[in-house]
Amino acid sequence: MTKRNQVITRCMAMVAVLASSQSAHAVLGGSAETITADRKALQAVHRATTPHNGYTVEEVVSDATTVREYVSPSGVVFGIAWNGYVHPDLALLLGSYWDEYSAARRKAARISGRTRQQLATDNIVVEKWGHMRNLQGRAYVPSLVPAGVCIDEIK
Amino acid sequence: MRSNNLIILLLLLPAITCCGGGGGGGGTTPKTLVSLAVSPSNPSIALGTTQQFGAIGTFSDNSTQDLTTSATWGSSVTSVATISNAAGSNGMAATSGTGTTTIIVASGGLSASTTLTVTAATLVSITVLPANHSIAQGTTLQFSATGAFSNSTTQDLTTSAAWSSSVTSVATISNAAGSNGMATSVAPGTATILAVSGSRSGSTTLTVTGGGGQVNVLPVTVNGSLCSSGSYFNKPCVSLTVCIPGTSTCQVVTDLLLDTGSYGLRIFKQALSVSLPQVTVGAGSLAECVQFADGSSEWGPVRLASVILGNEPAVQVPIHVVDATFGSLSSACRNADASPATAGFNGILGVGLFTHDCGGLCTSSANNGIYSACNGSVCNGTTVPLASQVQNPVALLPQDNNGVLVQLPGVPLGGAPSVNGSLVLGIGTRSNNTPAAVTGYPANSVGEFTTTFNGVTLTNSFIDSGSNGLYFSAPASLLPLCPSPNASFYCPAATTSLSATNTGAFGSPSGPVPFQIGNFNSLVRTSNRVFSEAGGSGIGGFDWGLPFFFGRNVFIGIEGTSSSQGTGPYWAY
Repeated sequence: MTKRNQVITRCMAMVAVLASSQSAHAVLGGSAETITADRKALQAVHRATTPHNGYTVEEVVSDATTVREYVSPSGVVFGIAWNGYVHPDLALLLGSYWDEYSAARRKAARISGRTRQQLATDNIVVEKWGHMRNLQGRAYVPSLVPAGVCIDEIK
Repeated sequence: MRSNNLIILLLLLPAITCCGGGGGGGGTTPKTLVSLAVSPSNPSIALGTTQQFGAIGTFSDNSTQDLTTSATWGSSVTSVATISNAAGSNGMAATSGTGTTTIIVASGGLSASTTLTVTAATLVSITVLPANHSIAQGTTLQFSATGAFSNSTTQDLTTSAAWSSSVTSVATISNAAGSNGMATSVAPGTATILAVSGSRSGSTTLTVTGGGGQVNVLPVTVNGSLCSSGSYFNKPCVSLTVCIPGTSTCQVVTDLLLDTGSYGLRIFKQALSVSLPQVTVGAGSLAECVQFADGSSEWGPVRLASVILGNEPAVQVPIHVVDATFGSLSSACRNADASPATAGFNGILGVGLFTHDCGGLCTSSANNGIYSACNGSVCNGTTVPLASQVQNPVALLPQDNNGVLVQLPGVPLGGAPSVNGSLVLGIGTRSNNTPAAVTGYPANSVGEFTTTFNGVTLTNSFIDSGSNGLYFSAPASLLPLCPSPNASFYCPAATTSLSATNTGAFGSPSGPVPFQIGNFNSLVRTSNRVFSEAGGSGIGGFDWGLPFFFGRNVFIGIEGTSSSQGTGPYWAY
């Protein structure tokens, strides 16, 4: 399977997850070329695109969750944020970072009573917060965040 | 040896017991003892236990008399059992070895005997009944202890076992002769009742309900007797009764997190002893994945339960039975909690702003990761009608169904080991839940309002008894974080007084909320577990966790219902 096909497969899986809106995502850390191919392959998908100073936000809405992708001028997804009834499936959204996130999550000590989870690995930061009916979170790759962009803009 | 002893006993006993008797005298003819019987006949008991014998005399006038205390008792083989002639314990045989012995009783020139067999059977277990019972404050309950032995026999150990209560401030239990095993309730809470015999013990849970007989009150203990031992700090616990619908088969479940930030009752399978009927959707068994903001999740079937809150009438409601082994985990529940130990509680009583945990979304959306229909190990996303969704049981009460009042006492700086309060059902439906001197703050459709703190307006803010601290973002210059491993909590050098402003979701009303944040590491270094000044970092909205509730009356109005404080969803405090 070529790298491009892998990405398309992932995106098709996301179509299943977000079936009712027929939307799709690029994955965290995805390259500009991948994003372009992804966009071309999924032209029919509705998504809101909002330009910001130094990056673009692509918004994908499903029944339960809204996901926002933060894309650098070079087309790399450096962060994602979400809110809704469920956390999105990070196995799909984190792409190649999923394994290191999973490993970090398994090792993390449970802090009961908190409405927040914060995990930082060598390469990514994943945070979850909120409450029933509005679960929120974000994941980003610090090394990919464009200069001049504040982390708290990813929300 | 044994027969020699017996002969000696038979020779001696009449001599002893006839001294001073049998002489006869003038006047009326005295009634004479004509027969003597010993009971029970030929008993068999396990080594290490005791047997009370009784002697009944029959007289010439056909009257009978209990002669247990006046007769003389003997045992032929004292290496098997001895028998007491001491005042207060006459006729009580104590075992000393296995085998048989003849128990002899003599009175009025007559004697009777029976064989006592002492078995080698060992005590395997002790069952204490009634199991997991609930009684009202100020009442009593008789417990029994039954020993099961290795030879499949059982024996009532109620009078010989040593009884104890784990929390004597909740219930005491008697070891006094005549009342062994009688428990007396003292205050609301839960105690473990223990019966010990030799190296074996048996136990059960006794729950004492309070509220002075008030129908609509559930006791709440923060890190108190309704919580499991070793609970994390600021954990509010309640208990309730779960029954199989249409039956009187019920159990009390304790260590349920009182959570105003979720909706519906969830109980771990491990904490449920009653078998509840499955809720179906289409041809499948309904299952659910509930995710929480800390990244944890609970998975398991939806089952129908008859739930009793306080002394209210039972309500039939779908509940979430948390069971990570049910069907197959959905991707949203990959890390589903396996046990109460993992989660930190036996379950969650969600009595927040809404009736359904998902609501309208799940009536029309199948593949959102929340509800699934399972056939065997195959589970697929499904839509679910509102009536089959997991629901806040308060909303289903015949009355007192428009919300709840959480009443917790103020907690001094530095903390307390535990505190007791109340969950009062209904708002303005009875004299004990009538709002006074409070302000209603509307919440939006996902249960949020606005908090302004340190010049920042946070629209995703909420009040949540299931959060154990005040969690919000503050600059390090104001509230420095603790060193690892508590780096997500605040550790100011001195307890810091702060204030935020809450505003209703639609712009009004607004009001200040003063609060304090202490040094978390200093707090948790004490033996206390309840803290009004515990706080930590947060992202997004201001999370008004349990410390917000201390010293306040907090009303939580359910969506679509009304009271003097408005139409739900709202908070009033």
